[in-house]
Amino acid sequence: MSSVQDTIFDIIARESGVDRAKITPDATLKDLDIQSLDAVQILFEIEDHFKITMPDRDPHFDTESVNGLVDAVERLLPAQGSEQHAA
Amino acid sequence: MPSSACCPRKDPSSTLHERRARTRDVLPNMHRVVITGMGAVTPLGATAASSWAAMREGRSAIGPITSLPHETLRFGIAAEVRDFDARAHFDEKRLILLDRVSQFALVAAREAIAQSGIDFQRDGIGENTAVVIGTGVGGEQSHDEASRRLYGENNPRLHPLTIVRLMANAPASHISIEYGLTGPSFATVSACASSNHALAQAFHMVRSGVADAAVAGGSEACITLGVVKAWEAMRVMADDTCRPFCKQRRGMVLGEGAGIFVLETLERARARGANLLAEFVGAGMSADAGDIVFPSETGAARAMQRALADAGLAADGIDYINAHGTGTPANDPTESKAIRRVFGAHADGLAVSSTKSMHAHALGAAGAIELVAVIGALRDGVIAPTANFIDADPECDLDVVPNAAREKPVRAALSNSFAFGGLNAVLAVRRAP
Repeated sequence: MSSVQDTIFDIIARESGVDRAKITPDATLKDLDIQSLDAVQILFEIEDHFKITMPDRDPHFDTESVNGLVDAVERLLPAQGSEQHAA
Repeated sequence: MPSSACCPRKDPSSTLHERRARTRDVLPNMHRVVITGMGAVTPLGATAASSWAAMREGRSAIGPITSLPHETLRFGIAAEVRDFDARAHFDEKRLILLDRVSQFALVAAREAIAQSGIDFQRDGIGENTAVVIGTGVGGEQSHDEASRRLYGENNPRLHPLTIVRLMANAPASHISIEYGLTGPSFATVSACASSNHALAQAFHMVRSGVADAAVAGGSEACITLGVVKAWEAMRVMADDTCRPFCKQRRGMVLGEGAGIFVLETLERARARGANLLAEFVGAGMSADAGDIVFPSETGAARAMQRALADAGLAADGIDYINAHGTGTPANDPTESKAIRRVFGAHADGLAVSSTKSMHAHALGAAGAIELVAVIGALRDGVIAPTANFIDADPECDLDVVPNAAREKPVRAALSNSFAFGGLNAVLAVRRAP
């Protein structure tokens, strides 16, 4: 598991209260029964942790699945010239 | 514990409507309430008349935000009140007391009171005139300025009038002070339903005789960096414009402004020969007691049903609904379903429009600004459209009067406001007698 994926799993589990063991890369937030307000908090925590801005309803990004979130962060990190993110 | 011990006994033989109708019959002090003055400061115009004229034309005031640094904003669109020169309305000594939210409220109140022609000194009517002004966030510009000094500049000294400017009751207090109105006066705070709650309170006080008259409505000046960034963070804002009820809707857009009205009894208004703009006939309120942000069809329907019952109006007596219609994915289908639930087959005979497509969402002033559109519809027989409409959404299957105003006689109308926090307030208004 990449460190980005690991961190995102942690954030999803912490913000939504979903058991970390139940989170799979191909799950959508909806599959995990995560409500919209929790989803917004997950996006915020990801942004705040990686110091990036997650796109909003951009058809080129999937921010509704776990894999999509990992992919979005990995694409956004180099674009901002920062592999070094906050611990 | 038996259930009868904790619950009031229900009278199964009477519906809410019947109980309300009986109450109206037995209470001797129930007055008919009319609106004799309206004033507004909106992104569409400096007065109620010019704002209504713009709504009739289907003109949208949504555009790039000019008052905030653009580079800090994600989307950067809103409907701002531009070219508002506070110095044209207030001298320096007065202005130092007034946040923008109070400035809007006072300017709109002056217009409403002047139009009504009411003289609060005469017959001591001001002594028991109520002032009820809703606001969602109050003096946010003053709040932002204080935060900037404190946290941004590390300046520990805040302006001594910070509290006086930012308190949510400041708009109500300033109107009361300017006109010497000493009746029950306060602010209502229920986010996007604040001004409808204010108007409902004022209406019920005048109808019951608790107050002789009322100055009521709402004011908001929420386009500050702090508030805009907080709304952005919720991810409910549109990045293009506000397109209520349409398939391509992408969220809400912030607005600002004020709408203020003069309410008085029909007897008094007739006795002084006042021009009657509309009759205020009912108000219905409810709480979803559910999700903190996700709207409830039941809660919305309950508020509309209560407004009809309070007004003693049948569903088919309504010709127009000025919808809450925020343009968010969640509100518009929920509101459409709630309207269908309340109106049944008559839902297809209703015109339903969201003027937020033009003046955007002024939060605690929204219902008051929208009452201008409702009164316009009653008086002119013209429904202001839902602007920026592209394609119909099957989830919002009502006649939403897309893009162009429509001539239609309106006998009576509802105006919906459904707030975050699940607090709903609906007004029922009909043509002046």
